[in-house]
Amino acid sequence: MTFAPSLPAHLSREDQEFLDQLISEQQDRPGMLLTVLERIQERQPEKYLPAPMLDYLARRTGIPESRIYNVVTFYALFNLKPQGRHTVCICRGTACHTRGSMRLLESVRLQLGLREDEDEGSADKLTATTPDGAVTVRTVACFGQCALAPVAEVDHHVLGHVNERALQREVEQLIR
Amino acid sequence: MSHRISDLSSFNAAHAAGLRKLMPGVPRIAIGMGTCGMGNGAEAVYHAFADHIHNLGLGFHLTRTGCFGFCAEEPLVNVLLPGQPLVVLRRIQASDVPALLDHLAAGRIPAELALCKIEEWDHITATIKYAAGQPEIPHWYDVPFFTGQKKIVLRNCGIISPIEIEEYIAVGGYQALYKVLIDSSPEAVIEQLKAAKLRGRGGAGYQTGLKWEMLRKAQAERKFLISNADEGDPGAYMNRNEIEGDPHSMLEGMIIAGYVTGSTEGILYVRAEYPLAVHRLQHAMDQARDYGLLGKNILGRGFNFDISLVEGAGAFVCGEETALIRSLEGRAGRPTPRPPYPAEKGLWGYPTNINNVETWYNVAPIVVKGAAWFTETGSPKSPGTKVFSLVGKVQNTGLVEMPLGTPLKTFVYDIGGGATHGKAVKAVQTGGPSGGTIPQEMFDTPVDYETLAQLGSIMGSGGMVVMDEDNCMVDVARYFVEFTHSESCGKCTPCRAGLDQALRILNRFTHGVATDGDLDTLDELSRMIRDMSLCGLGQSAPNPVLTSMRHFRREFEDHVRAHRCRAGVCEDLALSPCENSCPLHMNIPRFLQLLKEDRLEEAFLSVVLDNPLPASTGRVCQHPCDNRCRRSAIDDAVNMREVHRFIADSIYGTPRYEPLIEQVLARKLPPTGCKIAIVGAGPAGLSCAYYCALLGHDVTVYENNAEAGGMLRYALPNYRLPIEVIEHELELIRRLGVSFIFNTTVGRDISLNELDAAHDAVFLSIGTWKESWVYLAGTELRGVLHALPFLEAVNKDETTQLGRKVAVIGGGNAAIDSARTALRLGADVTIVYRRERKDMPAIREETEAAEAEGARIVFLAAPHRIVDDGSGGIQAIECVKTTLGEFDRSGRRRPVPTDEILRIACDTVILAVGETVDLDFVKASGLRLKEGGTMLEVDRHTLLTSRPNFYAGGDLITGASNVSNAMGWGKKAARTIDQALMDEFRWPRIWPEFKHSMTVPAHPSTARRHHNRELDPAKRAATFAETTFPLAPVEAMEETCRCLRCDIRADH
Repeated sequence: MTFAPSLPAHLSREDQEFLDQLISEQQDRPGMLLTVLERIQERQPEKYLPAPMLDYLARRTGIPESRIYNVVTFYALFNLKPQGRHTVCICRGTACHTRGSMRLLESVRLQLGLREDEDEGSADKLTATTPDGAVTVRTVACFGQCALAPVAEVDHHVLGHVNERALQREVEQLIR
Repeated sequence: MSHRISDLSSFNAAHAAGLRKLMPGVPRIAIGMGTCGMGNGAEAVYHAFADHIHNLGLGFHLTRTGCFGFCAEEPLVNVLLPGQPLVVLRRIQASDVPALLDHLAAGRIPAELALCKIEEWDHITATIKYAAGQPEIPHWYDVPFFTGQKKIVLRNCGIISPIEIEEYIAVGGYQALYKVLIDSSPEAVIEQLKAAKLRGRGGAGYQTGLKWEMLRKAQAERKFLISNADEGDPGAYMNRNEIEGDPHSMLEGMIIAGYVTGSTEGILYVRAEYPLAVHRLQHAMDQARDYGLLGKNILGRGFNFDISLVEGAGAFVCGEETALIRSLEGRAGRPTPRPPYPAEKGLWGYPTNINNVETWYNVAPIVVKGAAWFTETGSPKSPGTKVFSLVGKVQNTGLVEMPLGTPLKTFVYDIGGGATHGKAVKAVQTGGPSGGTIPQEMFDTPVDYETLAQLGSIMGSGGMVVMDEDNCMVDVARYFVEFTHSESCGKCTPCRAGLDQALRILNRFTHGVATDGDLDTLDELSRMIRDMSLCGLGQSAPNPVLTSMRHFRREFEDHVRAHRCRAGVCEDLALSPCENSCPLHMNIPRFLQLLKEDRLEEAFLSVVLDNPLPASTGRVCQHPCDNRCRRSAIDDAVNMREVHRFIADSIYGTPRYEPLIEQVLARKLPPTGCKIAIVGAGPAGLSCAYYCALLGHDVTVYENNAEAGGMLRYALPNYRLPIEVIEHELELIRRLGVSFIFNTTVGRDISLNELDAAHDAVFLSIGTWKESWVYLAGTELRGVLHALPFLEAVNKDETTQLGRKVAVIGGGNAAIDSARTALRLGADVTIVYRRERKDMPAIREETEAAEAEGARIVFLAAPHRIVDDGSGGIQAIECVKTTLGEFDRSGRRRPVPTDEILRIACDTVILAVGETVDLDFVKASGLRLKEGGTMLEVDRHTLLTSRPNFYAGGDLITGASNVSNAMGWGKKAARTIDQALMDEFRWPRIWPEFKHSMTVPAHPSTARRHHNRELDPAKRAATFAETTFPLAPVEAMEETCRCLRCDIRADH
């Protein structure tokens, strides 16, 4: 099936070219949809999947939009909303849980004024962003850093054996 | 330049090139740069080495390696100096590098930085011999963490560089592939795998050879091989380290399988959360293609097979093979029913085989060494090894590869080194959200597929999380169900809706609103989910609940009936961690805050309504609150014991006392007309009497001594607890209307029946005053004393037979009290204890004080006989030196006698080896005893004995314990007795409303913990007067400002 989709008004030519190339490179490969979505999100400075790009992806590949959204909402990695400029990620794996990661999560929430009911997602993946878009607090099911439990990541920098105070200091650096 | 290997000579050239890198003839430094190393600062260490080596112009070979397994000791740095063994250095930081390089440049290895050395390494596919030497550094296999480990899967991890294919070839890599392609007999390889009985290492344990055979037989134009590296099990990270440390071993396993099964394509499905593993794999695949080991015409044998990599996007259910396949097809990862199995209809309908990462690592060793070699290791049904991630509450955390069938206790104690901070290990969780918890009593269990399944757990992918007394098993069950609930794909109802209900019920437990019926519902629901779910996720999700309920039912019951979470994890069941750990459940944050607000009188009222003997416990409590204080995560625990002592001492003996006592008396509820008898005027009996009186009952205390106080008065030395302090506290209890009948022994002077007839309820708290029997030759000699009678005699100013040289046997508080008392009587004192210092049950500060005052302590020595001086007296005590053996039930190492005898000259031996209940009384009472027959049996929640209206508490039901625990039982008994007599819950009416700030301090004091001052040891040892002084007012105030106010929650 070949047809030239009309260019949605809010998709730049650059974005379109990026998608076209990505799709042709991945076409018919196993895990194609996952890989394409991962690359799109990776490329966005705000690490999310903008609706116009998903819309274009659907038209260009013929994959129904319903299925794309089914996949996007199924996997914990994907975000439909822009993420904060900084990320604080708390590991909720078993080893971290037994060593008090829940307290870390609570303390960083408290520090940033994020309330529990503002969280989205479920236990394995909570995410909440400060109103000014500065910091996103999220959890991950497990970093696989269990020997360093409890573990947190601040802007992808791993903090092992972290305590509330150490994490608070790191977060202070971010929001200063 | 092409590196393609197409024949033996080009293969050998790569091999030789690799060896030159591995043993370069110049110093080789390899930094452990797995994710665990990086998390501990390995990157900075690498750059520090690179810079300094460059600046100093040293011709060292610097490289990186994966994790050697001992993650707790990262960053690990391997150092190979020519002509020396390979030495693994531990915990190297960038700042260590300049000095370290100076040493290395001079040909020296600083032994103090070394973890271990390797003189020969068995890569299984090859053996590398390094030189012998460095006698002061232990062999790797003599380091307890590695002892007993057999590294087949991890054969290359932490030794070779994961980014140098030639190093992999140098240690025998791709040799198995070469052999398989030359032999060109795929059936023989499958037969070999079947004979080796290699089972899938992802958890289910299906035979790999059978799976491969099915795929080989399947006819189709495309066949797929998938490596499942979507390690989503929280608490497990074996696969990540395997890939990061040795990616080629997995690729080789897959390429061999590709040839053997006739597959056309391989797919690596790797978690996106493992960026380093993804990077290393991509690099390894590029190298393998470059060397002609992957892609077209592999090794020039006309075999085509390539592998692509897909990053999984974070869905636990994709560990299930049909879900993983759906995910690769571009759908949500929802499982489909089997059959058809993937071997018939897999990816896009083509035959597919999925194996776990670790399974692939076993392929090359079996091909090279044979099935018979493989089955030598492990158990008959489960040959080989398994890698476990040993994490949680153990000292040594890391990756451990052990033969299958190794008992759990080997993991926890021998390798893991037991619990941290002197706590007791409670359980091990294996298999993550699909597995279960195994209690400490069952640590003899061999770890293999079948045995763990019998216990309701699974081996799973190899997660092993150790839990200690601070972990709540209800919370752990809830945690896993929360996880599987959110990871359920939602396709089948039992899993989707059942787990939702299970989570709601578990939340009721942790919030303290569950009922007895919830236990049964949860059990039934869990079985239903297990039996009716579509895929492995749902079928195994109830395992954590079912095993926790089976092995830790009491914890569930405590949450329901007593609204208690002993571990202090379930916050809704406790005011704060300190309150929860306090046997009296004192509202500690309240009195701290009241004092902080300069409201001393109200602080006293809060303290004394929570604890009738605050000046006593303020001096002698074991302060369990310190161990739970969250402030200790920042610096040290708030000194709560000393603050409540300060509050009590500031009131007793001052004009403030009288009006406050009036306020306490005003809290007394109207007379109920109920009569309560209390047997024993020790801390348990006094506490029960106090609260029963406050609740308006008519209380009589029967005591066989002439005065009240029990152990407080008769056993605790005056320098720890002056008699005036006890007198002050007793006055309050008397004035509440409690009457005392002294010099009266229940069972002799008055019978239980008489008590029963005259009272509505009886509380028994006679404590433990009998000395434990010791089997020791010479105990009949003159000069052998028992600790309690000795202490009692000194407190009563009676004469004792104490000589000049005293040996005290024991390590508890009675031993230390006896030693310090003997010192004050002018004796020379040696304490003999059979275990180590950290195992002593005595309060640590007391032990230190005894040593400072001149007592010597001989550890690891068990008394053997007391030596006669020829005239019925003592000339010495002989002890057998002990060494530490296996861990016992208490999680401490059992002392094992050696041949060495230690003789300590002495004229007095004080036996302080424990006290027990007076069994004569107990037996005569006709009350039911606990199993073992040394303690009374009571209902844990009501403290009711086997006789109606008779309650019991304190040491009588627990065995010898301490003051605060005894008081806790007395307080609890008063509550349950009142509820039984009055048929309503009147307990909270005792307390007035205290209005104090409920705001979390924005800037808690940064002061460090304050300790009380003492006279210096020499002066102390010369007096029985109290020499430990209370905190100064400003210090007490600062302590209150250090409190983080855990009693205030965000949702309040």
